[in-house]
This record gives sequence, C-alpha cells and structure tokens, in this order.
Amino acid sequence: MSPELRQGLKYLIGGMMVLISIIPFYVLLYLAMNTPAGSMFKGLFLLPDFYFTNFVDAWNGSKLGRAMLNSTIITCLAVTLIVFVASAAGYSIARYRSRLNLTIFNTLLACMMIPAIIITVPLYSLMKSIDGINTYWAMILLTAANALPLSVFLYASFIRTLPKEVEESAVLDGCTYFTAFYRVTFHFLRPVTSAVVILTGLGIWNNYGQAVFFLQSQEMRTIPLAISMFFQTYGAKWNLMAAAALIGLAPAVLVFLLFQRYFIKGITAGALKG
Amino acid sequence: MRIWIHKINANLHRYMALPAILLFGLFFLYPLAQGIGISLTDSNGMTTPNFVGLQNFIDFFADDRARNDVRITILFALGSAPLLNLFGLLYALFLDRGLPGKGFVRAVVYLPAVISPLIMGYVWYFILQPERGYLAHVLKEIGLGFLDVNWLGESSSALVVLIAVNVWQYVGMTMIVYLAGLQGIPADLYEAATIDGASRWGALRYVTLPLLYPAIKINVVTNIIGSLSVFEIIVALTDGGPGYATESLSIYILRMLYGSFTGYSTAVALILFLIILIPVVLFLRITRKSEYEL
Amino acid sequence: MNRRLISWLMCAVLVIMLVAGCSSTGSSTAGNTSNGENAAAANDTNVTNNTNDSATNEQKEEVTLKFFTGKVETIDLINELITKFEAEHPHIKVEQEYQKDASNVIKVKFASGDVPDITTVYAQDYVDQGKYLDLSNEAFWARVLPAIKELNTDIKTGKQFRVATNVTMAGIFYNKQVFEELGLKEAATWEEFKSNLQTIKDAKPEMTPMFLAGKDSWTLGHLIEFMAHGVIKQKHGVTDARKAFINNESDKLEFDAAGGGIEAFAGRLLELKEAGLINKDALTATYDNQKEAFASGQSALFSQGMWVLGDLLKLNPDMAGNIGFAPFPAIVDGTEPVVLSAEDSVYAITSESEHPEEAKLFLEFLFQPENLKAYSEFLKSPPAFTDVSADWGPLKDQAAAALETGVNIAFTETPSGFSGDDAGRMVQELLAGKYASSGDFAAAYKEAWDKAWSATNK
Repeated sequence: MSPELRQGLKYLIGGMMVLISIIPFYVLLYLAMNTPAGSMFKGLFLLPDFYFTNFVDAWNGSKLGRAMLNSTIITCLAVTLIVFVASAAGYSIARYRSRLNLTIFNTLLACMMIPAIIITVPLYSLMKSIDGINTYWAMILLTAANALPLSVFLYASFIRTLPKEVEESAVLDGCTYFTAFYRVTFHFLRPVTSAVVILTGLGIWNNYGQAVFFLQSQEMRTIPLAISMFFQTYGAKWNLMAAAALIGLAPAVLVFLLFQRYFIKGITAGALKG
Repeated sequence: MRIWIHKINANLHRYMALPAILLFGLFFLYPLAQGIGISLTDSNGMTTPNFVGLQNFIDFFADDRARNDVRITILFALGSAPLLNLFGLLYALFLDRGLPGKGFVRAVVYLPAVISPLIMGYVWYFILQPERGYLAHVLKEIGLGFLDVNWLGESSSALVVLIAVNVWQYVGMTMIVYLAGLQGIPADLYEAATIDGASRWGALRYVTLPLLYPAIKINVVTNIIGSLSVFEIIVALTDGGPGYATESLSIYILRMLYGSFTGYSTAVALILFLIILIPVVLFLRITRKSEYEL
Repeated sequence: MNRRLISWLMCAVLVIMLVAGCSSTGSSTAGNTSNGENAAAANDTNVTNNTNDSATNEQKEEVTLKFFTGKVETIDLINELITKFEAEHPHIKVEQEYQKDASNVIKVKFASGDVPDITTVYAQDYVDQGKYLDLSNEAFWARVLPAIKELNTDIKTGKQFRVATNVTMAGIFYNKQVFEELGLKEAATWEEFKSNLQTIKDAKPEMTPMFLAGKDSWTLGHLIEFMAHGVIKQKHGVTDARKAFINNESDKLEFDAAGGGIEAFAGRLLELKEAGLINKDALTATYDNQKEAFASGQSALFSQGMWVLGDLLKLNPDMAGNIGFAPFPAIVDGTEPVVLSAEDSVYAITSESEHPEEAKLFLEFLFQPENLKAYSEFLKSPPAFTDVSADWGPLKDQAAAALETGVNIAFTETPSGFSGDDAGRMVQELLAGKYASSGDFAAAYKEAWDKAWSATNK
C-alpha cells in the first residue's frame, strides 16, 4: 500500500468516525433551531428554521443559569473529592496487600454491580435524617460516594501497572510511602486522573436519579432537572428541550477538551525512563 | 513521641482506603443493608411490611414477564458488551497511531457519552421512527421507501437497534479508557518488538494486549455492568414495548417500585446483581490466570 | 509541588464545609417536618395541636409550606400566585416542587417520610392509609359543582380528602370540515363510527381515518379507561361504578365477561386495525405525531382529552373553528355513548403536615374567583367552582353539547400496580398480535388487575 493511499484511508476512517458520531447531534441542533410547529422533516437535508428564540426561551423557561451554577458547584466539588479519596484508596489497595484493603476493594467492586435503585427508599430516609435534602454538601457527598467504586477500580488498576521503583526511590530519600504518593506517584497518574475526571464528572453532571429526589426546590435544580421541565404531563416541548440540552452540553464538552490533552502519548513512558 | 508519630506516618499508606470506604459506607452500604432487609418483606411502601422470607425471589421465577425481561436483558448485553469493547479498542488503536486532528476525532467520538442517554435516545427516535423518522423520510425521498421497515415494532429487530444505539452512545467512554491504557505503554517496547522482528499483529498480540490488561479489565467489567443494567436508551426508543417485548430488568424494577411492589422490586434488584456478578467474576477469574501466563 | 497539592486539598475541604454550613442553616427551618410514625399514630390530635401552635406563634414563627405538583404547565402561574399569597401573608412561605413523575415520586416520599404539605397527587391507597387531611367541613364546598364534589368524595368514608378546581373532558376530536364535506354525523353507535371511518378512507385515501399514538402507552390506556370501562361506568352510574373499581367487585366489573366492555373493546380495536382504519404505525406513533397529524389535516379523528386543545391551537391557530368534539361511540350494542367529565387540578393536604391551617389558607387563596379565573383561562379548562366564569376556549359550546348527548363518566381508580400505562401496554400487545382472541385479552386484563389489586389491599 502506498503511503498516500494509507494516509487517505486514515482520513476516510477518521471521517467516518466523526460523521457517525455527529449526525444525531445535528438532528438535535435541527430540533433546537426549529419553530415549535416545525418539528417535521422537510427536504433531503435538514435545514432548520434558524429560530434562535428557542435558546432564549429554554434559558429563561427552566432557569438554566441557576441550574448551570448548581451543576457546576456539585460536579466540581464532588470530582475533587473523588480524585483525592479514590486515588489514595487505589494507591493503598494496589501497593499494600492487606486483608482490610482486599475487603474494601472487593466490597467496592461488588457494589458497582448492585443496581442503585435498591437503596432508593432507605437512602431517602437517610438523607432526610441528616438534613441533606436541598443541600449542596449532601448531594456532593452522595454523588462522590456513588462514583467511588469505579474510580477506585480505575486508580488501583493503573497504579498496579506502575513500577514500584516510582515511590521507592522517594522512600530512600526519606519520604514515607504516604508522602511519596503525593510527591511522586500522583504525578504519574495524570492519564487515569483525567479519565476519572471525565467519566465521573459526566456521570454527576448528568445525574438525574438522585437529583430528582434530593434537589427539590427550584433554586437547587441541576441541568438534568431543568431539562426535564420540558417533558410535560402529556407530551414534551422538544424544541426547547433540545436547546436546553445543547446549552447543558457545552460546559461538559469544554471540560472534556481541557482534560483530554493529558492523553498525550508518552507522559508516563517518558517519565518512567528517568 | 517522635518515634510514635513516625510510626504512624510510616504506616499511613496502609489505611489510605479508609476515607473512601467510610464515605461509601454511609451513602451506599448502610442503605443497602436496609434495602436487603426490605427484599425479604411484602412491603408496598405504605402498610407495615410482613416478613415473607424468600417468597419474592420465588415469585420472580414464576413470572412470565420477569423471565422474558431476563432474556431480553441478557440478549442485549451479549450484543452490546462485546461490540462496545471491540469498537472501543479499534477506535483507540486507530487514534493512538497518530492522525492529524486526532484530538478533534477523539472529542467528537466521545461527544455522545457527554449527553444524557435519555435525550439522545429520543433524538434517535426522531431519526429511526418508522414512517415518520428522518431515516424513513430520506429513504422515501431517494426512492427507497420500501426499506423503511418497522424496526422498532418487533422485539428482535428492536433489540438490534437498541444495541446499536447503545454502542454508539458509549463507544467513546470505552475508547477513553483504552487510550489511557495505551498511553501507559512505553514506546520503546514497540521498538524492541520490531527490532526482534515481530509483525504488527505480533506486536499487538504480545506487547499491546497484555500491557493493556488493566484497561481491558475495566472496560469489560464496566460494559457488562452497563449493558445488563440498560435503562434510558430503551425507555426513550421503545419504552419496553410493544407491550413488554423489549423491557429490561432495570425498567421492570423501577416499574415494580413505582407500582407499590417495593419489597418485590428490591428482590429483583438483588437478582439483577447476581446476573451481573456471575459474568464479571467469571471474566476476572479466567483472565487472572492468563495474565500470569502472558 | 507537594505544598500546592495540600493547599488544593485544604481548599476543597474548606469550600465543602462552607457550603455545608450555609445550606444546613438554610434548611433547618424547613427541615423539621414531623416523622411518619407520630403523625400516623395521632392523626386527629395532631391537627388540633398544630392549630394551637400556629395560632400562638403566628407573630414570630415563620411557616414554610411544601407544595408538591405534577403539573408542569402551571408552574409559572402558581409561582405568580405564590408571590401574591406571600405578600398577603408575610409569615408563610410556599415552596413549589415540581416532579415530572409526581404520582410515582410521591410513593417514595411517603415511604421515606419526606411528606409535602399540599399535593396535587391523590390516590385511593393513600386515602386508605390516612395520608390526607379531611377537608369535608371546609366552606368552599358550597361553591363547587355538585357533580365534582361527588367525584371528590371518598367512596369508603364518604368524606372529602381532595378538592378539584376544574373540570376536564375527553372524547373524540374530529375535523369538522371533513365531516361536513362527506356528510358525516357524530357517531352514537359502533356501526356508525366504523362506517364514518370507512367513508373517510374511501373518499380520502391519503388521509388516516383514526390516529392512534401507541408509543405513548397512556393514550391507549385512556381508550380502555373511557371506552371499555365506559360500559361498566354507564351501567352502574358514577358512584356505584367508582365503588366497584375501588373494591374490585368482580360481579359488577365483569372484566372477563364475553361481550363485556373489555372484550368488546379488544374486538372493536382489532376490527379497525384489520380494515385499515387506523394509522399503519399505530404502535410507534407518538402523542406529538397524533397532534401534528390532526392539526395538519393528515388525520380526521382521534381520541383525547381537553388537555390537547392548547397544543392543537398552537400547531395550527386557523383550526380553532374546525375542531369538533363528540362523545365516544357505544362499543357494546344497547349501550349509550359516553364522555369523560371529571375532576381536574386536584389539591389535597397531607395529614402529616405540621401546618394544616396555613395550607388551608393557601388553598382558600387559590380558590378566590379571580385567581381561579386566571388559572382556568390559562389552562383552557372549565372551572369547577360555580362562582367563577372563565372564557376557557373555543370548544366551550361543543363540550357542553357533548356532555348533553353522552353519558358522563369519571376516571377509573386503578390499583397502583396496574396503572393506565400498564393497561396501555396490554393494548400494545393486542395490536402487536399477542392475543389469539379478544377473550384472551379480557382474561389477561382481569388477571393483571386482580393481582395488582390484591397487592395493595391486604
């Protein structure tokens, strides 16, 4: 195969991947820019009515600004908490085999498989008894707790692949294994940390199952709750829903773009050589 | 005194998992224990529940609708989990090879996972709806209207559509984890392999895949879990219908909970846990053995 | 590097603590709703105690009422009314909580003890559990239409635990122009109904005679509730039929009887399907499609409730004079056509509420004629209060005529484990060809109903 042909093939495959992923988003955009009466398809190509009023109506109608703020506060703080708690747990589990750590790891792993719906009623009673309904702190702790199994699993798996020499050299320099983790190992975790931030962050940003019960007041509403306002008792306001969904999507995409630069080839590999 | 503090410091790394388990214990394990208790009762969320032992579990296996839902759930996962891993890995390998604008491709492929699957499911319905969807419309416009078959109205073809949409939605997530794994493989290992005369396939088989094991493990496990607990995509595309033909266990559990069968729905959730647990444990057992062989 | 990391950590902890501090002080006033056991045990005494409390503390104590609603359409309007109410009563604060899935979410709320003061969700199960406050002695009943008061009366105790401010109707919406053009009349019997559809099909092959929105199972559930149950409801009258449904009196319901409502309905529906008188995609079409098809003239007729009117007019404002409204035809020979005429926008106060007097005050406020008029006109729904006259929409006269010609029936009080959605899913199965005969369908329907009924009536 000639290099030109190979290059061309690469672009073709890349182009296909982009196209497949993006078509439904185009339909979403189309819905978001159509007049309420014009959700039917006309013509071969989807040319929207460019009715931008939907975005304004969606923003005002569901008080998206406030929802954006709430979602940001909850997601950022919960993800920060997850990164620190889960990386520490992952490190201890990966590096120090004890009965305690094994139990913790297996418990977390097993709970990843338990459908969360099973705890709906008991969790609700708990949230009520700790006065956690309609508060940021309880929602942050709750969503962070729910994301822990996956995060610890990710961290533990990746730390196991790092050679122990990483922190042992630091220990020889007088660190304890505890401080060596924060001084040295943590910096090798960037790819997995960005994966954790992206995966759990999006889960929390899109969380509906818990938010629907525990964030009841209009001031505490998050983006998914705000979007659900466009589903009516009968039917839905699709155009406004699509517009709100696109607005709610923007910050999530931004965060993804910020964090994906840590997927640069060789961070770990290059550093390990030294 | 200083020795004492030093001793704590020196051992601190052994207990670094405690904050995680404390937080998790309060918000998951503690309610879970109560939830398991509820599964042994005939609770309807209103009247005082009676202890019924394992009756809920017996009822489950005697119920036609429940058995059908188990079948649907497993069929869905059998299609969805392997395809997600296959495409996720292929995408990651392709992007890892270096392509101008790969950051863009990566972001776009990941885009579906960023948005709620419920909303995306409805958008897919706008595209795939028989007779009225965008696809049907395009087919009609270009004279291929006869291809517009009622995909979503039949259980088996609807299942294929549901699997395809699920793979579309989450392939980016799988890809991300594989990419993170690929970044961890030192480039000099490939060089060494090529110098040793390994073919590209050989390098993949003997260098990449074994070193990618942590990522494979995470992806297989999360995809098994995700596929077996599928919910939103089905709600949006078929709502479990027609009738109960595409109802998954997760939908069943929620409907039972909302239908005042609280105790029963909790029991079904535990059964779903077992359905997820078995393939995950099997996978981890089998691969752990071969991990050391490699 | 290390220092930076630790500072980040401290920062995060600090922020979390700050947030925690702020919000817990904020919620402490609202957070002390009574716990479930106490309130359930001392239902009546609770009420009197609280009246004393609130009377003595009225000057100082600020009261927060939680208003739980499932009606998204009225959120903004109710918020406006709340602002007005709070201005009149500075010591009372009303928090509106909307839930898309309110009738289900409230189950979890009751089960976990987070109970609102006022709710729009009402179900027989909760009445039986003593979850609602008795409103029988309130002054406003003198102003409510007798038929609506009757529907708001609990069958088992004869008391009123809820009050409806409006009336809703459901029947057949049809395109008047098409009917006039083809010389069709509103159908009273099934034969007439079917021949109307056939005439439309023959004269206008491109038009869908009757449009079903089967993807949204509740629309099919309504067909059961109005057409199939209509046979039972007209035979026994509103009150006795309600009794029969609530107590599952199988001798009156006769769900599996040959030639009964359910069996006849299943047979009729299959007739329409076989004759090609409903849309081909009856199983995958949505409620949105149904509205669009009618508003754009692609379908001639469909079954819905008055709630559809606002959307139809939005889709096609020119259609206002062209929308006809008729009762459902009789599906069993020898019975009458029926039309739903029932309560809409209901309110109940929970018995666990710590502030029942303030909650009643808020309801009194909502029921003031000028507020009800605004509400009715906004919702395009006729008021149920006799001293309110609202200009609620272009179908006003036709609705009145339909109520004259058809037997007025009420909603069905289904067991909570067998909702209208569940019944709708059975109709989906019927249309998908899962049942060999209409008799099989009727038998399966009875089985599902009985199972769900016994789950909550132990």
